[in-house]
Amino acid sequence: MGGFIFRWRRPIIILLVVAVVSVSLSVTSRLHGKVESMSNAIGSLVSPASSTLAYLGNKVGVGVGTIGELFTLQRENQQLKQQLLLYNSMKLELSELAEENSQLRGLLQLKGAASHWKLVTATVISRNPDTWFQTVVINRGSDSGIHAGMAVIEPQGVVGRVISTSPVSATVMLLLDPDSGVGAEDVRSQAAGVVSGRAAISDELTFQLFAHHPNIQPGDAVVTSSYNQYYPAGLLIGEVAKVSKTAYGLTETAVVVPSVNFNQIDNVMVVLSHPNGTSLPPIFGGGSR
Amino acid sequence: MWQFRVVTWVVLYLLGLLVQTALLPQIFPIGYVPDLVLPLTVIIALYETPRRGLLAGLIGGLMQDVWAGRLWGLNALTFALLGFAIAHLESRIVRDNVFVPGLLAGLAQLLVLPFQWVILRMVGLALPWSQFMKPLPVWLLFTMLVTPAIGGILGFRPRHEVDRPYSRYVR
Repeated sequence: MGGFIFRWRRPIIILLVVAVVSVSLSVTSRLHGKVESMSNAIGSLVSPASSTLAYLGNKVGVGVGTIGELFTLQRENQQLKQQLLLYNSMKLELSELAEENSQLRGLLQLKGAASHWKLVTATVISRNPDTWFQTVVINRGSDSGIHAGMAVIEPQGVVGRVISTSPVSATVMLLLDPDSGVGAEDVRSQAAGVVSGRAAISDELTFQLFAHHPNIQPGDAVVTSSYNQYYPAGLLIGEVAKVSKTAYGLTETAVVVPSVNFNQIDNVMVVLSHPNGTSLPPIFGGGSR
Repeated sequence: MWQFRVVTWVVLYLLGLLVQTALLPQIFPIGYVPDLVLPLTVIIALYETPRRGLLAGLIGGLMQDVWAGRLWGLNALTFALLGFAIAHLESRIVRDNVFVPGLLAGLAQLLVLPFQWVILRMVGLALPWSQFMKPLPVWLLFTMLVTPAIGGILGFRPRHEVDRPYSRYVR
């Protein structure tokens, strides 16, 4: 027996490793919370090094980008001169619109609503080492009052939600993640559905609509709906790019281009609390409902 | 010799993952950030026995899985098998410091991606094949260039040369 095991030790070891890892895969695909908290603990340990590297990388990226921009500056200069003519003609029209806008703002009392939103600013210090899942680590954690389930936003729109925290860092699942499910609605037609990450590599979102024939069109703005566990209603998600039928034609799905540029998220805001019933903080450019 | 110690591998993988999560996302767009565990596993396994190659890949993959915090075993399984295969091949091929590591890493990258696609489908994450394979050219180029570079920086040598420093001059 001993001789048999010794003779076949390599295949046996490999089979054992494969079996153990397969069981681990199967179990962790069902358990999410505990696995993520372990990852977050590691994130906290390495957060000083991550912050330093991210800072250095950012500075180097800016330097390289500036050199690259020199080649396009001349072409842009010509285009800008042409645009200047156009903008001058639009100036009069804009001044009228600005007046009307200020009146509407007053009516909506968005300024008043803003004071009730409690936000914490945080910096993205690292991303997930797995390309297939879209999470980032921010430099604020439970010490700053952040806990799992809180919405994370940017002035341009929704970024994602906190899925786990440590005292000094938190892991945020981006809207691009295949597991992110956000209750959403089309602003124009009020058609409701769920927005989630389309594919790991894609920077677009899928809007799965509930209705059989929703009146949804490319160019429509999509915001978070009130049927939402984590996100306040009315936060801008993105714009509809394409509408198509599902495989059997029962429902429709739309491709949504997120309003946030996920390649350039450096600073984000975590929504610690917001007043019930209000929808849109004034930092958002999205339309009111 | 430090290159054969497990602690060295852990430190290398830790540094690799730090660069991969904090520095590379500043250069590569989202979804295209390349993997540094793969080149490290190839370099380590090239100078190891199959069993230790498997162990190195298992350690690197597991560290990546724990760091990612989603599916424990996806990368551990992938890189353990990769480490074993590379170390197994090592005794059968002519080894140099540039072309062989680069070609092996490129080949590994070609195989790892479809393998992970299958595993993810098995655990219920069905990602479209075309989207999944989209970053392959970028990763292939990166891996084939970075692997020899890492090998050159680390200066790993075969065990017999380390044990007998002048063996390369003996005929």
